[in-house]
Amino acid sequence: MSAPAPVEPMTQRSGPSTTPIILRSSEFRRGREESWRELEALIGRAERRGVRSLSAEELQRLPLLYRSTLSSLSVARSIALDRNLLLYLENLTMRGFLSVYGPRTNVIEGIADFFRRGFPAAVRAVRWHFVIALVALVVGTAAGFWLTMVDEAWFSALVPSWLASGRGPSSTRESLLDDEIFAAWPGLAQSFVAMANFLFQNNTMVGILTFSLGVAAGVPTILLLVYQGLGFGGFLALHYNRGLLLDFVGWVSIHGATEFGAILLCGAGGLALADRILFPGRYGRVESLAVNGRMAAQVAVGAMLMFFVAAILEGGFRQLVASTSLRLMIGAVTGVLWLFYFARAGREPAE
Amino acid sequence: MTTGTELASSFLEGGGRSRRELMTPEGVPLAVDLADYGERAVAFAIDFVLCMAATIVIYLLFIFLPFGGTTGIVARSIVLFIAFVVRNFYFIHFELAWQGATPGKRVVGLRVVDRRGGPLLASAVVARNLTREIEAFLPLGLLQSPVGAGSAAWEQISLGLWLLLFAALPFVNRDRMRAGDLIAGTMVVALPRRVLLGDLVESAARYAFTEKQLRAYGAFELQVLEELLRRPVGVETSRLLREVTDKICRRLEWPAPLPDADIRTFLREFYTAERAFLEREQLFGKPRADKHYESKAAREPADPSVKKV
Repeated sequence: MSAPAPVEPMTQRSGPSTTPIILRSSEFRRGREESWRELEALIGRAERRGVRSLSAEELQRLPLLYRSTLSSLSVARSIALDRNLLLYLENLTMRGFLSVYGPRTNVIEGIADFFRRGFPAAVRAVRWHFVIALVALVVGTAAGFWLTMVDEAWFSALVPSWLASGRGPSSTRESLLDDEIFAAWPGLAQSFVAMANFLFQNNTMVGILTFSLGVAAGVPTILLLVYQGLGFGGFLALHYNRGLLLDFVGWVSIHGATEFGAILLCGAGGLALADRILFPGRYGRVESLAVNGRMAAQVAVGAMLMFFVAAILEGGFRQLVASTSLRLMIGAVTGVLWLFYFARAGREPAE
Repeated sequence: MTTGTELASSFLEGGGRSRRELMTPEGVPLAVDLADYGERAVAFAIDFVLCMAATIVIYLLFIFLPFGGTTGIVARSIVLFIAFVVRNFYFIHFELAWQGATPGKRVVGLRVVDRRGGPLLASAVVARNLTREIEAFLPLGLLQSPVGAGSAAWEQISLGLWLLLFAALPFVNRDRMRAGDLIAGTMVVALPRRVLLGDLVESAARYAFTEKQLRAYGAFELQVLEELLRRPVGVETSRLLREVTDKICRRLEWPAPLPDADIRTFLREFYTAERAFLEREQLFGKPRADKHYESKAAREPADPSVKKV
């Protein structure tokens, strides 16, 4: 930038004069102020009562006024030194920007849209991560099953005592049948509320750990999935050794399709995070996480809601439906429904 | 190169604000101020109290229903569930309906915006709010939950660590994002409403200033003077104006001393003349950020003809 020229005759004035000074920026302001005020009034109403409170005509006017104010700001930045004016225009454009580009959905539509499109699309996007998570879980289950089948002492090593709650190598076929698989239904409030809440809390806890530890390059996620599989395999073997495999599978299946689906989705989301962190592509790691993290988070959030469904099924319905074949049927139906939902929902283009 | 407006902003507002630039889809950069931690805490506290109140009201309605007379663990679960629904509905509803504000944020003057200057999407709003469950409310619920009788000490410790980690997150990243913001690609900015005040330009000219005199100052001084002239009338303001006038007169080598009555007129006319001069200079591609402009320019050997004023 060059220094000012030494002489500018137009500003040279000798002695007092009464010629009024005309400022380009003041003239500019006089010409545009009315439309700024109009925009300000519109935005004020949109902020107080929502964009939906504007009439069709005003809605049409809003982006026009916003764009003209935006250009006013650009002009003002180059010709005006009025600080109040510059700050006002900057503030007004920002508010206008938020109104013009703000969300047009309400909460019901937003949530419905999440289930109709966002969640299934996000799940489809992580399907290969899902497969990896599934492999980890299956490997764990097979290992746990084999270990416990050969030597039941492994059971107490694989299953934490609070989860086993009395079940173990010393359990008999009868005690498993009466206290576990066909235990009495504890009543409406106990089952649907207290038990379901307990299960939900435990499952979501495991789920969010599985998901968020994906940040550590995915290793803890895989380990957690294998560990879950080991415990489940242990249970399977315990019942297999007592000739109760089918009954146990039925007992688990009623909520299992939903619950295992959810835990696998948490794992898949975690692995997707790990993927982004290990292979950020052309973005930085944090940026890559921000760009793609939304999809993983949608998977995790949807999985939380699946845990909720699973807890209702497990806490409320499992003991109510005291028939293995019926339980297997419910399990199969829920499984097919989930599959169908994830495969088909939200394929149609957005309106 | 910093402009006079930026200098004036950091001088008048103490420079405590962290600014970020958003690029609108139209390609015009807009400067936004990041929200302070304190502001966000206050906004959240207000929202939280409102949610709690709504939860209590709904629960009271619920227990007066015929089947609602439960106690203990069942009642606890019901309250937790109502609280879960209420707070998520509350945050998502308001951030969608009020374009990124909730009642608490509106009181404090905060808005949620897309970090890259794009439109704020419904999915981002849902994501940033549901993440709050994972960040804080689920672990909090688990921490103080009596049902987790099986939960060992290490579980409690890891939950505590979890909470600490997420609480610390906004303090360790540049844009003060919590996990929800990070995932949704949003940030929280302070956007208090600004008012357009009258133009200070005086059309009648009683005093005249030479170009040499007008060269004594830059945009920074002009805008500080503007702020001063916009102060409400009072004893303190009069004292400040007197002081400033004396300084200006010394610098301009103004011949006659000014009586108190003429100070305001003099300053406004000086403001007008100075602004006219500086705006014209800026239009000619010679913006003058502050009064040191000439000496700064002189230090660069580009143009030896510049005289120090």
